[in-house]
Amino acid sequence: MWALPVPAVRTGELALDELDESQLVTACLAGRAGAFDLIVERHRRPVYQLCYRFVGNHEDASDLSQDVFLRAYRGLKSFRGGSSLATWLYRIAVNVCLNRVAVKKPVLENIDARQYVDTDRESQVDRVLRKERGVQVRAAIAQLPPKQRATLVLRMYQELSHEEIAQVLGSSVGAVKANFFHALGNLKKILGAQDLT
Amino acid sequence: MAHLNPDQFVDIAEGVVADTDVPHLATCVECRRQLADVRAVISETAFAEAGAAPEPSPLFWNQLSARVRDAVAEDTASTRSWRERLLRPHVLVPSFAGMLAAAMFVLLHRGVLLAPPPPPATSQVSALAAAPLPGAAAPASLPALELSLPPLGDANDPQLDLVADYGDTLGWDEMRDEIALSAPAASSDAVVGALSADERRELQRLLADEMAQPAVPENRS
Repeated sequence: MWALPVPAVRTGELALDELDESQLVTACLAGRAGAFDLIVERHRRPVYQLCYRFVGNHEDASDLSQDVFLRAYRGLKSFRGGSSLATWLYRIAVNVCLNRVAVKKPVLENIDARQYVDTDRESQVDRVLRKERGVQVRAAIAQLPPKQRATLVLRMYQELSHEEIAQVLGSSVGAVKANFFHALGNLKKILGAQDLT
Repeated sequence: MAHLNPDQFVDIAEGVVADTDVPHLATCVECRRQLADVRAVISETAFAEAGAAPEPSPLFWNQLSARVRDAVAEDTASTRSWRERLLRPHVLVPSFAGMLAAAMFVLLHRGVLLAPPPPPATSQVSALAAAPLPGAAAPASLPALELSLPPLGDANDPQLDLVADYGDTLGWDEMRDEIALSAPAASSDAVVGALSADERRELQRLLADEMAQPAVPENRS
């Protein structure tokens, strides 16, 4: 049974973009046209970026993002409002991504095929070095165990707090910090200690 | 003194806890080295990916929304609840008819299934047929259900009673219409043509026996 608190304002009386998350979910479950579109619009970028961090290429990240939102739509009734909608979507995304990388080894995109948000301040040499190092780091992250990988991506690239990551992964804050610590240790081994110090 | 745990390393590396607040660091070379490694990896990872976040074409976001919208519409159309599907007339009527037929079958055969087992056969032929062949293994015992059924055509066979009851209530023509018992022209010739020589001889014998019986005035109609 749907257990979100009944919104004080009837969602039908407000424009969709005036609704908060729980009201938007209620509107969506009530069948209000465009409500789920707005949820997708608000969360598509971070969901896509998270998927990209896992699979390392645009095509798979697009497919996974679509899958995440489709699963979210199917499971919207089970969203209890205990965490933010973003956290709930991240949880779905992490599960979808971990399932995917478990059956298909990520094909990391060539750096030239990607579009970067470059800063004009860094020199050409620095930019090339950073891109090369980025490729090595992504390849190293791809070798981490699933939970460590998810923790590292959520912390370093999605910039979630340890508490939020614990909600996404369904574990304790202590376990998240331990995973993060071990992920960093493994990353150091993979990348080679001599380059880091 | 105990070394730092992962929680403490992470908190110090991320600046949540100051180095100076952890006296152990001042005295433990190993923990200082490990903390330096953690900081270096965080810095390296952040540097390598800084500004390298993938930013697809601005058109991509609307394409993604459209893909999701289409997928949701398709999913909604194809995953109607089973109740909704079951209540459609072309599903409900055959299902109900099938259940009704099954219920009638069970009711009609309940008497057969629950009938007491027939008395053991005592004739010489039955005894001979039941006796195992010399050297052959004893037959495995039959399931209880089969034991409760009388042999086909036995005098106590309730199926014969059922047929007799129907026969009393229906005329021949009516019965033929009911069970669609009809044969196309020349079908008897085809059947006889398919019999073996022994079967033909047996058929001849049966017909001769039947024709030797005195005629009985027909009183069924």
